[in-house]
Amino acid sequence: MNVITASNSQSGTPGLIRRLGKALSTPFDPEDYLALFDPLQSAREIRARVIGVQRESDQAVTLTLQPNRLWKGHRAGQHVLLGVEIEGVRHQRCFSLSSAPGGAPTISVKRQGRGGVSDHLVNRCREGDLLTLAEPAGEFVLPDPVPERLLMVTAGSGITPVHSIVKSLLASNFDGKVTWVHFERRYRDLMLSDSLAQLRRDPRLDLRLVLSGDSPRDGDQAGRLDEHWLTDNIADAAAHTVFTCGPAGFLDTVMDWHGEHGRAPLFHERFKAAPVVAGEGGRLHFSRTGGLAEAAAGVSLLEAAEQAGLKPKHGCRMGICHTCKCKVSKGRVRDLQSGESRELNGQEVRICVHAAEGDVELDL
Amino acid sequence: MNAKVDHFDPIVFERPGVTLTRSQVDAFGREIDALREEIMADLGEQDARYIRRLVRTQKGMELAGRGLLFLGVLPPAWLAGTALLSVSKILENMEIGHNVMHAQWDWLGDPALDSSTYDWDNTCPAEQWKHSHNYMHHTFTNVVGKDRDVGYGIMRMSEEQRWNPAYLFQPAYNWVLASLFQWGVAFHDLEVERVLKGEKSFAEYRAQRRKIMKKVRKQVGKDYLLFPLLAGPFAPWVLAGNATANLTRNLWSYLIIFCGHFTEHAEMFSEAEIENETRGQWYLRQLLGSSNLEGGPLFHIMSGNLSHQIEHHLFPDMPSNRYKQVAPKVREIAERYGLHYNSGRLSRQFGTVLKRINRLALPSRRKPKNATV
Repeated sequence: MNVITASNSQSGTPGLIRRLGKALSTPFDPEDYLALFDPLQSAREIRARVIGVQRESDQAVTLTLQPNRLWKGHRAGQHVLLGVEIEGVRHQRCFSLSSAPGGAPTISVKRQGRGGVSDHLVNRCREGDLLTLAEPAGEFVLPDPVPERLLMVTAGSGITPVHSIVKSLLASNFDGKVTWVHFERRYRDLMLSDSLAQLRRDPRLDLRLVLSGDSPRDGDQAGRLDEHWLTDNIADAAAHTVFTCGPAGFLDTVMDWHGEHGRAPLFHERFKAAPVVAGEGGRLHFSRTGGLAEAAAGVSLLEAAEQAGLKPKHGCRMGICHTCKCKVSKGRVRDLQSGESRELNGQEVRICVHAAEGDVELDL
Repeated sequence: MNAKVDHFDPIVFERPGVTLTRSQVDAFGREIDALREEIMADLGEQDARYIRRLVRTQKGMELAGRGLLFLGVLPPAWLAGTALLSVSKILENMEIGHNVMHAQWDWLGDPALDSSTYDWDNTCPAEQWKHSHNYMHHTFTNVVGKDRDVGYGIMRMSEEQRWNPAYLFQPAYNWVLASLFQWGVAFHDLEVERVLKGEKSFAEYRAQRRKIMKKVRKQVGKDYLLFPLLAGPFAPWVLAGNATANLTRNLWSYLIIFCGHFTEHAEMFSEAEIENETRGQWYLRQLLGSSNLEGGPLFHIMSGNLSHQIEHHLFPDMPSNRYKQVAPKVREIAERYGLHYNSGRLSRQFGTVLKRINRLALPSRRKPKNATV
């Protein structure tokens, strides 16, 4: 059994003390007051302090985090919604955890050059900074029992969740074989290289680096992935259970190959941003009631939900009272008053003055 | 402003001393909208630092105040503790709680300052407050019969409210309401008079009352039971300090809030007037129905920036620390359109509120004027 959850066992303060603290601080939590002295304290969210910043290259960092007691650990391969304050405002983005479960969690981040969360973490993050984490999520994890023959196919940032999986696997009593092919342009783009060098010494792992923009060094290969690469380079590739993660085009190639040849399951993790469908309206998914609805351009999410037969709570219908605020799990919305378009990941919007742009998942 | 009858540009807003046509009202609305856009686009790190620092200060004062009250047997400690706790309760209710629940800080993305999750140190549950205040009061401001803040169902604050003999006593029970203001606020949304008239179901009333009582038990348990018990032999001093702090907060918030819409020139509106109201007309009603208080920076913070009631009503979800900055611009726009910008010192404004309470305790001599057309 290789699914390892963190041994973050703490039964917490005795129930009675906790209840007394809650009663004395009502309607707040004791942590709201304790946070004056220790900003990690919170009763409502996982806060984490950055306790290590390792430069992977000028383009990437690995951050080691010390979360508060609300953190219950993760399963290897899962991702987490990470929040960071940029100019006072909390911005959130999903990152795969690169560490094996157990110790302090780490995330490895590559600069995107678009001024978002990734760039902030790479350029500005220092030891001692505070971040927030949501519960880890995702099904890109090893099945139980672990398959005998595993093939990992990754590219670029796709290395992070697979690093977590392989590291935890090799730390267990796994007695099968893992083949891991990682595609990268140049050596200096490679993240987690120190850890890879260590993992490589394990005889159960066959790690191959394939470079498209540098001349390969000892044992590494030159090339790039195409529809034949896996069949040509991995013995009996089609019989392996495949884990793959990387950019969209790369994933498509792996999945097409697997669709044609694969004889064992494939697990994949896609990092994607919600596409912009400017002024075209979109499709609403109501996650609570399970419905679907089309929303025309310029029609508020509230009206669209009402047309679909739902009765979301609302008040003024003009954007002032905020009664209608509703969580958008993911999707892009346009503010009908300012015309501004934003991508959302679990934030709330006033549905009376926002319209869908593309697929929008609403907590209704 | 005088306008000839023009079928393409009809008069849509008429009040004593001001007549505005459709295009004038629309232009007014656009100017106010532009002001809003300008500030909202400029929000950033400084605003975030302001509210976070304020929360830390308030929580620190509360801890210090409660700590000192444990030594309340010493008079200076009791006085200092009670003062700190009073100020911290005022800050929490007014500049933090009221404004956070208006969603002024939602843009921070911080769950500790989010309108959907915040609850304040007050007997009124956040959810009900947001309904009676953010929705009912802010949407239907000063519309007699719709905005229950016009007299809170127990006082006669407008000529348009029908007189009955009970109002003879309002100059006296006004002070009872002031002292118990948080309780008035808590039970306000129950809308007892609508239940009696059969407009609201008893089941809904009961469900609401259950939620209020749940919060009341916690609030009372904290201030009047647990903290005194924790102080052991010093329980009486802690109890007295907590009660005084709650009373101070009640009186102060009553004072500020009554000056918001019941001063001499604050105008009331009829339900007929708000039919098919445009955004521009809504802004006009907010402006003419609200009144400001003048004072220094500390006074503004202690009033939760409700001293800028006009700006708060035009922009209820704009962070309150920005009202000071938009106020002169709002005033300039108002004057250009010939609209009265109601502003004065606390003593003067509250004097006119008391006058209104006394005058309306008696039946009106003239028939209620049916405002505009």
